[in-house]
Amino acid sequence: MHNEAHSPYLPIPMHVLHAYYESTDRSLKTLELSFDDPQDAREFFAVFNPGQFCLLSVIGKGESALGVASAAWEGDFVRFTAQKLGSVTNALHELKPGDPIGMRGPLGNGFPLEAWKGKDLVIIGGGCAFSTLYALTKHLHHPSNRGDYGKLTVIYGTRTSGLCMYKQDIAAWHQRDDMEVHQAIDVPEQDWLHHVGYVPDVVKEVSPSPVNSVAVVCGPPIMTKYTLPALVELGFTPETIFTSLEKRMKCGVGKCGRCNLGPKYICKDGPVFSLAELNALPADL
Amino acid sequence: MNLILKKDQLNHLLNAWRQDYEVYAPQSLQNFTHFLPLQDGFELAFDKAHNTRIPPKALFLPTSEALMKFTRFGGYEQIPSETTPRVIFGIRPCDAHAMTMLDTVFEQERYTDPHWQARREATVVVGLGCHEPCQTGFCTTVGSGPFNHAGLDAILTDLGETLLVETFSDKGDRLFAQLEMASVDQSVRAIEVQQAAKEKMPIAFETEGLKEKLDQNFASPYWEEASRSCLGCGVCTFLCPTCFCFDIVDEAQRGERVRNWDTCMFRTYSLEASGHNPRPSRVERTRQRLSHKYTYWVDQINQIGCTGCGRCVRYCPVGLDIRAMLRKAHQLPSEVAHA
Repeated sequence: MHNEAHSPYLPIPMHVLHAYYESTDRSLKTLELSFDDPQDAREFFAVFNPGQFCLLSVIGKGESALGVASAAWEGDFVRFTAQKLGSVTNALHELKPGDPIGMRGPLGNGFPLEAWKGKDLVIIGGGCAFSTLYALTKHLHHPSNRGDYGKLTVIYGTRTSGLCMYKQDIAAWHQRDDMEVHQAIDVPEQDWLHHVGYVPDVVKEVSPSPVNSVAVVCGPPIMTKYTLPALVELGFTPETIFTSLEKRMKCGVGKCGRCNLGPKYICKDGPVFSLAELNALPADL
Repeated sequence: MNLILKKDQLNHLLNAWRQDYEVYAPQSLQNFTHFLPLQDGFELAFDKAHNTRIPPKALFLPTSEALMKFTRFGGYEQIPSETTPRVIFGIRPCDAHAMTMLDTVFEQERYTDPHWQARREATVVVGLGCHEPCQTGFCTTVGSGPFNHAGLDAILTDLGETLLVETFSDKGDRLFAQLEMASVDQSVRAIEVQQAAKEKMPIAFETEGLKEKLDQNFASPYWEEASRSCLGCGVCTFLCPTCFCFDIVDEAQRGERVRNWDTCMFRTYSLEASGHNPRPSRVERTRQRLSHKYTYWVDQINQIGCTGCGRCVRYCPVGLDIRAMLRKAHQLPSEVAHA
């Protein structure tokens, strides 16, 4: 495929395996993509790490950066959930199984899973930003990974129950004895058995222990803004709090310039940063 | 290696190169000087301006360039990188120096840009030192200089009747292989010319401690004041030899994915699909432009990301002067914390 000097701008040829709505309001759609060339799949999974993202290419429309929402052990496909917002994500929502699509990646650093070994993990997500945390949780669920980490707590909030992603899977998580799951919605709904309230408040209520723990936070900026101090209040140090950032991106490989946060590029040096790292960078988000 | 070139032999030499290379040199076109390929009967425009209006980065990162073309049924293929052997003759040291900074962006180990790399490898860069200071330049202030060697395969020093040629690479040696060695006396005179040129360049502002001042004043009201007269036209960035930002867009009718120069001075540059914009006004955008050059580049490669070419000063339609902006920034208080 890539006979010439490999271009970081050239997508991997993929096609849509499955496409289905993720939310009842049809604003979120999940695409599972498989590789046209098995060699590309081998190369992808040899380096893929949960927390990384890809640029999906709809030819003629452009590219959109989306976090990977699947773990490597799930199979030779890559899952993404796209919110219908701009012209590319609108085009992504039109795709049907069998349609061709381009993908560049995996890009970025992903979660520092090696450094987290032996620790308890507190995974905190809000809205559609939960996708990479879903990939992380799935990764941890694999029997060969689960033993490397301690207690696993997931806190996931959405505005409404209909906007909750990966519903069936998450419902099954409540039955597992190797993790604790806390779901939340912003306003009360009939038959809702879980928390009602904003994620930062739910975090305070659940009050996870900071001892030998790391917390990972991915959500809309407003949620992240209030969740980080809530964790600091619970005793988490800035070195043990992680978040994944987003900015407008074009190249994904640290060249086009636009996703910089001070001297760091979110695409290349991130998207995952510790709060300690962020505290040393300008507030340019 | 120091060689000597008689000025009346220059055109002959340039024509000889045209057998093997595409030769670019500064020529006049519509009131401005540009790097254009030499044609029969060319006229060089060395004395018109110290610097071409568009920096020679455009010969490596074109203003618009197709990255891939679309094929039928949703397919696509890479557009091969250009590898025509080229000579760029008469590039000024500030512009050549800037190219070495762009190399750190485009030739990173993990993600090398094949388009940039192919052009860099196929090009010999011959510099022309500046024996007279230009009006808005401030190269010596920011760690470059009128005879800086960075990014050059050879540099010329004007000795009146002759040009002294110093070569710094095999590429440069091969290009000037026909010339005779310079005498010791000629080499000494060149050093004197170079030294005198350097001394004539005024120091435009203090760089010691400037980075720290900018870092500490990220949330300062200074940026509001600094950006007040900015129109947001982006000329300072488009014509900057160290600016490299680009956009990638699909030109569906042409069937190509294209990258175009872009600028952090535009609102849409950082505008996100959600409607959120981290740099919603010219205040944040001006801060980004200056901070990128004077603090972020320093963090990344330990060099100021400006070579003092002076284009942003010369071409700003409202006369914003980065030298004055930085002089003012240097007087900001030290203890302001982040908001």
